Amino acid sequence: MTTIRQAALVAGKDLRIQFRTRFGAAALLPFAATLLIAFGLSLGPGRALLREAAPGLLWLAVLFASVLSFGQAYGSEVEDGALEGLVLAPLERAAIFLGKAAAVAAELLLLEAVVIALVVALFGLSIGARPLDLAAALVLGTVGLAAVGSLFGLVVAAARRGEALLPLLVLPLAVPILVAGTRATAAAASGGAGSWLGLLLAFDAAFVAAGMLVFGFLLED
Amino acid sequence: MWLSGVTRVFGAVPALVRIDLEVLPGEVVLVRGPNGAGKTTLLRVIATALSPTYGRGRVLGFDLLRDRAEIRRRTELVGHRTRLYDALTARENLAFAAAAWGADGAGVGDALRRVGLAELGDERVGGFSQGMRQRVALARALARDPELLLLDEPYAGLDERARRAVAELVGRVRDRGGTTIVASHDPSGATMADRVLHMDAGRLLPEAP
Repeated sequence: MTTIRQAALVAGKDLRIQFRTRFGAAALLPFAATLLIAFGLSLGPGRALLREAAPGLLWLAVLFASVLSFGQAYGSEVEDGALEGLVLAPLERAAIFLGKAAAVAAELLLLEAVVIALVVALFGLSIGARPLDLAAALVLGTVGLAAVGSLFGLVVAAARRGEALLPLLVLPLAVPILVAGTRATAAAASGGAGSWLGLLLAFDAAFVAAGMLVFGFLLED
Repeated sequence: MWLSGVTRVFGAVPALVRIDLEVLPGEVVLVRGPNGAGKTTLLRVIATALSPTYGRGRVLGFDLLRDRAEIRRRTELVGHRTRLYDALTARENLAFAAAAWGADGAGVGDALRRVGLAELGDERVGGFSQGMRQRVALARALARDPELLLLDEPYAGLDERARRAVAELVGRVRDRGGTTIVASHDPSGATMADRVLHMDAGRLLPEAP
């Protein structure tokens, strides 16, 4: 079985679990919506300020929701020792990492589709000028987030009862993605987001490569 | 397979202390001992789920430290943690495991029937009792036909039918020339064992002549 097929096997299993547990609809989406409303209330009623802050609020909501998603992705692996099953299975470690990251990325992209609609409705985010740039920023930022989260989700799962560690590990590393994603989203509304998209692509390459290299060491005893 | 001087330490606590063990192909070995004796750790080291802190060994002819992938490909560990995904059905859990081991999953239905769960194969295992989950884990092993079978407390929570499934599984592995090591404090396993070993405080006690 090729690496891609192995990754697809793991991703398919995770997506099925995500769909069955309805974690996205029951937890991620309400959490992201609550954050957006809280951010909006804290900034006050000024329409211009909200519109200016909208890209950052969008990415903050996605980032915080993603941390929940990473925790859930490994929750199913630790509940009855399933992670040991992955350790003992003759699957490539890089394929397991890619599969788990792909499933998280798919879940986050679905979440982002709804979050964008909320940000447009609540804060007047403009998506008219370069919608493809906006889509590219979201996809690239999500891939980077999924890579970071899938790596550190494993660290926390292996540590047992280390859930509080996950945001401490993920959030600092995700700051470059947050900044570049915010800038790319803002730039997509006004003109070209090319250089920020390039930066996101570079982050993705670095985080995905690091995950593929390191995941096996973290997975093994 | 053989182990020489295998020691495993968790923090400062030794779980295995200088284990020397030799098991022949086709042999069924029962390892008995009280809770905390190190039986589970021993099986997990042999399965390569844990690395020995010291010591060396060969399992199915492969080096315990260097050839982990080869050992894993041929070994099935059935522990008291069933390694099942609650949100998946019994059939989906087994199909995932089969696919992960490169099999087509054709034996999944038959394996579920052998443990008496054919009718419940499409139910999510999150609603199963511990005994039913153990049976699904046994079915996973039945569907694979491993060369080395490691059973950790296989009788815990099992009814008579499931105990027969354990015996069938051990018999199938033995018929194919495979090796089985059972860790249990339940004396039931002694009837099918060729040899009974005793562990205590991480040490394998000398065999009676």
